[in-house]
Amino acid sequence: MNIVVCMKETPSTTAEKSFSPDMRLERRKEDAIPNPFDEYAIEEGLRQQEKHAGSTVTILCMGPATATDTVRKALAMGGDRGVLVSDDALAGSDAISTAHVLAAALKKIGFDLVIFGNAAADAYGGIVPSATAELLGAPLLSYASKLDVDGSTATIERQADIGYNTVAAPMPTLVSVVKAINEPRYPSMKGIMASKKKPLDTFALADLGIDPATVGAAGAREKALSAEKVSTQRKGEIFIGNEGAADRVVAFLVEQKVL
Amino acid sequence: MDFTLSAEQQMIRDLCRDFAENEIKPHAEEMDRTSAFPYAIIRKMGNLGLLGLPFPEEYGGAGADFLSYCLALEEIGRGDAAVGITMEAHTSLGATPFHLFGSEAQKQRYLTKLATGEQLWAFGLTEPGAGSDSAGTETHAELHDGTWRINGAKNFITNAGTEMTGGVTITAVTGRQADGHKEITNLIVPQGTPGYSIGNPYHKMGWRASDTRPLAFEDCEVPVENMLGARGEGFRQFMHILDLGRVAIAALSVGLAQACYDEALAYSRERRQFGKPIAAFQAIQFKLADMAMEVELARLMYYKAGWLHMQGQPFGKEASMAKLFASETAKRAADQAVQIHGGYGFMDEYPVSRYWRNVKVHEIGEGTSEVQRMLIAKQL
Repeated sequence: MNIVVCMKETPSTTAEKSFSPDMRLERRKEDAIPNPFDEYAIEEGLRQQEKHAGSTVTILCMGPATATDTVRKALAMGGDRGVLVSDDALAGSDAISTAHVLAAALKKIGFDLVIFGNAAADAYGGIVPSATAELLGAPLLSYASKLDVDGSTATIERQADIGYNTVAAPMPTLVSVVKAINEPRYPSMKGIMASKKKPLDTFALADLGIDPATVGAAGAREKALSAEKVSTQRKGEIFIGNEGAADRVVAFLVEQKVL
Repeated sequence: MDFTLSAEQQMIRDLCRDFAENEIKPHAEEMDRTSAFPYAIIRKMGNLGLLGLPFPEEYGGAGADFLSYCLALEEIGRGDAAVGITMEAHTSLGATPFHLFGSEAQKQRYLTKLATGEQLWAFGLTEPGAGSDSAGTETHAELHDGTWRINGAKNFITNAGTEMTGGVTITAVTGRQADGHKEITNLIVPQGTPGYSIGNPYHKMGWRASDTRPLAFEDCEVPVENMLGARGEGFRQFMHILDLGRVAIAALSVGLAQACYDEALAYSRERRQFGKPIAAFQAIQFKLADMAMEVELARLMYYKAGWLHMQGQPFGKEASMAKLFASETAKRAADQAVQIHGGYGFMDEYPVSRYWRNVKVHEIGEGTSEVQRMLIAKQL
């Protein structure tokens, strides 16, 4: 089985975030990590590989040229090879452009099963998996908390408000996973030392036959207008005095569906 | 000059940082309270390859460089010093002698199990009357018919008595050299050798979950092939091992100092007095600035000592400087971290109280601050 895991390079969740005047997140190489949500996708790819002998796992990433280090971080967990799509014209890409690039790269690489994290920790758009599936004309099994591959069918469980839905699709298929699906492994020392020896190909837009004018800032259909820090001020209400304070606390808890 | 860490060094550091944060720190308070050796954590570290970082892959190690090992120790020590010293004593003192001085057969027999973390190993140098002053060594061994018979005692030996321990390598007086000095040879004593007894663990002020014990040898016999390297090479061997160990202890101390700083900074931003966070007061800001500065300087010094070693250059003086400065930095950082916490810092619920107890031995183990100053002065 040819398994491809799509991974984004994101700034570390604890890194200070800043934006350029045209509202692009300023990315510093030293803060770059594999998107934390994608670690679950990588882990699931590796588990499927362990279950299905003869499978290969490719880590596919679109990002700046320096993202090779981040792809190698992912390869330290496991997997056979990395593919980085990198091109100066890709800077400022929106989610749809990203999906176009990933779809073209997936067509070039070939796949039976593609696994995504359900969103990226930086922009949190969450539409790349479905847009990529649409462009490929392939099914998407989204928000999987369990994945089974049996012959030519992939089956997932999707957590719902009450219980879960079981959904199946014929292969080749795309799957996006949620955190409940597994517990990502730590890369081992052997994995870290081996990661630098694994093949890592870099594709430019020309390799994928994509017109630079249709992607990046030039082709962006969405535009970030502003970004603000979440206020860390806690919203508290203080009820003082004996007169009815307890009743108001109880009423509040009922309103919050705690009681 | 390039201070950039390689991609592998960064990955190893980040892995150890995550591991310490998620797998070690949540247990640190309990480990300290119960003094229970952290088997589950140590086994996980072994499985990840953290107990054999600087050894070649052919012996089960990770094949990482010496600085990577030190970076790992800093991060593990930041999570908990007792786990850090267990890793350090096993790697620097237990396994490194086999790697540097062992025969091929000894490497196959011992190092392969130590590098994979299947076993821990101890190094027995300190005695009731001797530590850095090796001339005071009284444990002695005589060779009869292909067998070393050992008599004597060791104390404060880390990792000697865990259920994972494979044995101990000890220094023993095996005769007199031509110049009249004691001839010292390192001998390998596996667990369970008749005549080798391991005492009960000490009750300690800090590093409480680490395993530290007194050892006794009474007509303890090991075959002649249990000699590490050549006869009479023991002194030269352990001087080199201690130089390397000092860089490692420096890294461990930087981890502890960083942990003190982390706690102090976070607390000073939270704790409000006189209507504002205490971090807004210059008296606290200056303490934090000094801590941040000294931690960074101590880190640079162990980087440099480790780098010199990796370049094949002499590094003994720099190793002593790194160990001395880092341990004393950690001591000051622990002291100020408690001070910034005020009365809460004196309470066991706050980690800084534990850090303050842990830090003292950093100025003592693997050569006291006084011995480091002697070593530095000798090389001026």
